[in-house]
Amino acid sequence: MIKYLGLEIRRSLRDRRYLLLVAGWPVAAYLLFSTVFGSAADRTEGLAPTVEIMVAMASFGAMGGVLLASGPRLAMDRQLGWLRQLRLTPLSPARILTARLIAAMALSLPAIVLTFIAAVLVKDVTLPLWEWPLLVLVIAAGCLPFAAMGILVGTIADGDGAQGLTMVLYLVLAALGGLWMPVQILPSALQTVAKTLPSYHLAQLGWHIARGAVPAVGDAAVLLAWFAGAALIAMAASRRLTLRTA
Amino acid sequence: MTYHPSAAGSAVSTIPASPDGADPAVRVNGVTRRFGAVLAVDNVSLSVEHGETIALLGPNGAGKTTTISMLLGLSRPDSGSIEIFGSAPGSAAAHASVGAMLQDGGMMPGVLIGELLTMVRSLYQAPLALDEVLEIAQLRGLEKRRVDRLSGGQSQRLRLAMALVGDPRLLILDEPTAAMDVETRRGFWHAMGGFTERGRTILFSTHYLEEADVAADRVVMMARGRVVADGTPSAIKNSVGLRVIRFSITHPGIAGLDALPGAVSATAHGNRVELRCSNSDTALRALIAARPDAHDIEVAGIALEDAFITITDGLAA
Repeated sequence: MIKYLGLEIRRSLRDRRYLLLVAGWPVAAYLLFSTVFGSAADRTEGLAPTVEIMVAMASFGAMGGVLLASGPRLAMDRQLGWLRQLRLTPLSPARILTARLIAAMALSLPAIVLTFIAAVLVKDVTLPLWEWPLLVLVIAAGCLPFAAMGILVGTIADGDGAQGLTMVLYLVLAALGGLWMPVQILPSALQTVAKTLPSYHLAQLGWHIARGAVPAVGDAAVLLAWFAGAALIAMAASRRLTLRTA
Repeated sequence: MTYHPSAAGSAVSTIPASPDGADPAVRVNGVTRRFGAVLAVDNVSLSVEHGETIALLGPNGAGKTTTISMLLGLSRPDSGSIEIFGSAPGSAAAHASVGAMLQDGGMMPGVLIGELLTMVRSLYQAPLALDEVLEIAQLRGLEKRRVDRLSGGQSQRLRLAMALVGDPRLLILDEPTAAMDVETRRGFWHAMGGFTERGRTILFSTHYLEEADVAADRVVMMARGRVVADGTPSAIKNSVGLRVIRFSITHPGIAGLDALPGAVSATAHGNRVELRCSNSDTALRALIAARPDAHDIEVAGIALEDAFITITDGLAA
């Protein structure tokens, strides 16, 4: 299973279009937003704008890396018949899905690391040394619900549909979850919705750490609940995974 | 298109005794599978012994792929039972001992042939050496090729490599040579001959009787979801009557024509007679000797589909 996991990660890292989308975009957005809003005083998280936006864009890229590595790829593998072929090997379906989940999680890392590097090199961001590895780890781990949501999308939607659905999910979660702009500028009804989203709680986790606080248990619990919900629905639909599409 | 028997066919040797007890390689018992109103597989029973090379022969829609899919545990019979070396299809034990080429089996996009085979190899207890797999599947030198940038023939060879890499005791091949030209097909069956010499069992599907004849030591013929014949290739050929002699007669009466050497059955439409033959050369010589009044003689092949339908109708009657 380790070799399969490794190969899943490798094939994503080889995909330049994918990397540009999930790592290039957040880094570019970080540099743009932190330059435009870098001196604004209307930040809400009690953090320097360069730090707040760094965490937001790292979370944004991480979420995209995970969603796009799981959803569209699973749909494609299902349609190509690769999943049927893989089902004929001794690798059990549970292990196949576990490996794909872990691979998708690992693909949160390029965006997180590259955004942090850009923040340090270009925007002179400094944080206590211990906060860096913790931030990487917590944002990556916080992407667990997105890995399950991606697998769910890849299970129920086909090819282009899965690609489109994933992108819509990605952008809605980012915009409503407060990764692009503070949730406070949304109408109050939308704010209520926003505060239930996993993307909102992912950013909150990171901002807690950047403020030097311990990650909040409440945020982690919401993320776990989203993971459990998506995973359960995906499991119920998993019979579709090896059905013939022809 | 003609397909000449090659060395591969005659290399098929006698069936070795079952190496580990009584369980046959494949046991299918009264299996039925429906898709909506369509009866894809209708009460099929068959047994494959260790070391046998068996062809599942039939036209499109005969139920071959559905049967194979059930043998592999990719779909379940509505009724009836299937055992692979005594285990349920799709079980861990079955996956470890069966290698398969699917018609719609895809490969992992974005990786290299060498990477893919190395990964799949690591999933088995006692796999073949990578070098040996590349050799048999004629993929040597292509290890660094991306699997999503292969030609049709190369993809098919990769499917074969994927089926072989775990050194399976049973190889299940769904129309393995469908995309191959005659020469490639011959090379393919030559390689498979080496595989069965090691006591391995092969079950493959095809819609070419010629191919079943060359490669298999037993043919199970399917039509409309049912097994309509089961026997040696030559027995099947004789019962099907794959060529037809059409001729006109001056004196009515076709009695005794179907008993001519090489003939299977005779039917008359007015003064035009149709003689189904297992060996049209022999039958033609005998016919000319027996019926000097036969004229306007033509010899033609029959589409296998027609032959199947004849047999199925015969069974239904």
